[in-house]
Amino acid sequence: MNIIVPLRQVPDLVEELEIESGGKDLDREWLKFKVNEFDDHALEEALCFKEDHGGQVIAIALDANDADKALYAAAAKGADRVIKITGNFEGQVASRTAAKAMANVIAQLEWNMVFAGVQAVDERDGQVGVLLAHFLGVPHVSVVTGVSNNGGTLEIHKEYGGGIIAEFEVAPPVVLGIQAARQTPRYVPVAKVRRAMRSTDLEEMDAGDVSVNVGSQVTRMYKPEAGGRAEMLEGSAEEVAAKLAEIIRSKV
Amino acid sequence: MEQATREIFMNFPVWMQVVFYVIGLSTSAFFIYGFWLRIKKYRRGREAGRFNNLVGRFFKALGMMATNATIFKRDTYAGVAHWLIFWGFVVLFLGTVTVAVDHDFLELVFEYRLLKGSFYLWFSLFLDVFGVFFIVGLLMMIFRRGVMHPPQLDYRRPDLPPEKYSRASYKKDDKTFLWLLLIIGLTGFLIEGLRIAAEGMPAFEKWSPVGWLIAGWVENLPVSTLHMYTWWFHAVIVLVFIAYIPFSKAMHMLVDYANLMFVDDLAARRLPRVTEEKMKEGMGYLKLEDFTWKELLDFDACTKCGRCHAACPANASGAPLSPRDLILDLRTFANEKLGPKEWFSQVFLNGNGKKDKALAGGVIKKETLWSCTTCMACVEACPVGIEHLTSIVNLRRTLVDEGEMEDSLQDALMNIGDYGNSFGQSERMRAKWTKDLDFKIKDARKEPVQYLWFVGDYASFDTNVQQMTRKVANLFHSIGLNFGILYEAEKNAGNDVRRIGEEGLFEMLVEDNSEALKDAQFKEIITTDPHTLNTLKYEYPEFGANYKVLHYTELLCRLMDEGKLKISKKLNQYKVTYHDPCYLGRYNRQTEAPRRLLEALGVDFHEMRRCKENSFCCGAGGGRIWMDDSKLEKRPSVQRIEEALEIDGVNLFVVACPKDYTMFSDAVKTSGNEDKLAVKDIIELVEEAL
Repeated sequence: MNIIVPLRQVPDLVEELEIESGGKDLDREWLKFKVNEFDDHALEEALCFKEDHGGQVIAIALDANDADKALYAAAAKGADRVIKITGNFEGQVASRTAAKAMANVIAQLEWNMVFAGVQAVDERDGQVGVLLAHFLGVPHVSVVTGVSNNGGTLEIHKEYGGGIIAEFEVAPPVVLGIQAARQTPRYVPVAKVRRAMRSTDLEEMDAGDVSVNVGSQVTRMYKPEAGGRAEMLEGSAEEVAAKLAEIIRSKV
Repeated sequence: MEQATREIFMNFPVWMQVVFYVIGLSTSAFFIYGFWLRIKKYRRGREAGRFNNLVGRFFKALGMMATNATIFKRDTYAGVAHWLIFWGFVVLFLGTVTVAVDHDFLELVFEYRLLKGSFYLWFSLFLDVFGVFFIVGLLMMIFRRGVMHPPQLDYRRPDLPPEKYSRASYKKDDKTFLWLLLIIGLTGFLIEGLRIAAEGMPAFEKWSPVGWLIAGWVENLPVSTLHMYTWWFHAVIVLVFIAYIPFSKAMHMLVDYANLMFVDDLAARRLPRVTEEKMKEGMGYLKLEDFTWKELLDFDACTKCGRCHAACPANASGAPLSPRDLILDLRTFANEKLGPKEWFSQVFLNGNGKKDKALAGGVIKKETLWSCTTCMACVEACPVGIEHLTSIVNLRRTLVDEGEMEDSLQDALMNIGDYGNSFGQSERMRAKWTKDLDFKIKDARKEPVQYLWFVGDYASFDTNVQQMTRKVANLFHSIGLNFGILYEAEKNAGNDVRRIGEEGLFEMLVEDNSEALKDAQFKEIITTDPHTLNTLKYEYPEFGANYKVLHYTELLCRLMDEGKLKISKKLNQYKVTYHDPCYLGRYNRQTEAPRRLLEALGVDFHEMRRCKENSFCCGAGGGRIWMDDSKLEKRPSVQRIEEALEIDGVNLFVVACPKDYTMFSDAVKTSGNEDKLAVKDIIELVEEAL
């Protein structure tokens, strides 16, 4: 079975985020990008699945934010094909547009499953996978923590709140939102990535018509103002207790 | 006076002499065959680049062999015993060769005899004395194995329960070797005595004092017949021994000289690069032919003396690693690969026999490989020039290729790859520690400085070590030192990254740091971190970044000598011991600078049991600091603290390495010795004494 893994480059939160002067987006000039953590798990699960059952892993990414790096790393880890989706993807791309671009490209490929990361730091509502399934007209299961092959169908573990796990049975084609791979995403040595950069055929495919009704837009982006700060009570145990009693008394 | 000489084949019929030569030639053929097998084995290895300066190498190894210096090191008993056996053997061997030349060549061809007259008398005396040396040495070794049981001769493996393996063949080999030599020595003397008695005790034979003594005891026995039997017994044992050499530990007589001759003086300090060619199929080792011929020679050179086994901090703390067993397992692997079974499988089964165990992760378990702290104690202890660390790192490279590592180590590598530091902090935060200084450190990228301070990860990012880093900065500033740093252009120097086996990442760090160094103007590099020091000093030059590098203790000594650093207070209230960092004392041979500083500080200084080049690792090197050490029986750092506490009344444990500061600060707390022993960086004492 062929598995498509969309990779998304997201801002690295180790660096401090700044809002651009217009106040509607991050200041992207100094941002450092890295592959979305959940996409990394999706890729790992796809590679594990391939190792068990054969097939191909095809990594795709929108041409933005140093996507080449993510694709080469995927190739170094064992993806069989890596495809960059070309088009205009400057700044924050709406989930609907991103999903449409990917769906256009995926429709041209031979595929059985899409393993998408369940969410991303700049897409916490996890819409892309859902929309992708919608555009491709296939079922979708999200918050997936395990995929196994059950003959022709897939057995899928989905996580619910309160520590409940449900098993689903789905026949491909299907889009899955991967929460966690069965093992920690593998380390890929730098030498392998460098070799992949020299020897991998990085394919490019045009996104095609991505005009969709996005329906909403960002009007303001800002950092939440700091609320009241915690007050540290200092001194001996007796003093602290006295201060604490005083505070409680004043609030009652 | 009759001419003093000896009969070689006394009263032997011709057929007996013929039989002797036939056996002699066939056992020699056996020896040559065994020897050729070994050469064939080494020729299967990769190139090692050890053929430079052959004359120098030859004589250096000759010197080491003649003095037995590497065997005397830290083990006088073994040194004395080995020296006696070695020189006894050499002299008896040369004596036998002289007899052979005299009898089979000079007399036969020229009808001339060398072994006569006063030369013969001195020759006899000399051989008797060294024969005694030989026997005494052997008895000392037999006593050592049988009665003394030193810990290094304990064959127990740390990685397997006793029922899973057998060391019986090793023990048999050890015993066979010793007893064969002893029997050869004793029967040699017996023959001499019997011959002297059979010749009617000629007075000049007093020059063979041992033979003379024995002759006196046996005079009344049927000496001629006994002489013949003993002679044959001795001769057969000697010939069997010759055939036995290449198939036993006796081979160390030849292999170990070669191993010492082809040793790399920078072994462990400078790890081998991975060639472009090799990189294509992965950096690590997958098959026998991936080893260099020197590594294959290393595996054969091991005499199982166990010095590495006893010195290894991983082994001492219950980790599944013994450098001795690692080398021996690789030897077994190499021999199996070259043995008849493998040949059969290749020729008749087209290599489709039983599936091979993987080399890294199978023949040598991954837990074993990851246990190494790269402290170099094994390489330091080895008397025969085995470079354990090179093979360990080469096998680790395979594990990195395959992603076989702990999550925490993987995180550290990814952080170093992404941000240039293991702490996973933004590159821009690297110089944040300077914010709390009340002066600005020069930016060496923007203005020329005398000393470029390569700060390193722990000194830059670890909040406890940062305090030490600031103390160093303040001191440099207060004495007006012209120094600067690279700010965010500095990245992890890569010493430990390379020793983890992530060669590609190491090369990337070298490229980035070399670029930054090229852009800066300075005379010398200084660092507080011995790990950084090692790679900058020994490994960067191979990549074109050739600079003079100093440890801060060396710089402080220099400044003290120049009168720029003035110690005004004597700190005699402290009873101090000093821990030599592996990468400073052992790797860089710098043990004096910190001691000179401590002396100048006037502290009451005491050495630990293991000090200087023989220091004991804290357990953090080679990437171990990023791995889980909770499974160890007793962490090396705790063992070291206990070793320090053997010194009566010691109250200060001085370190000169950021990782040591972290490790030992933690170890005194977890071992409950916080109230007895304080851990301080040497800079704290210097600051206190200003």
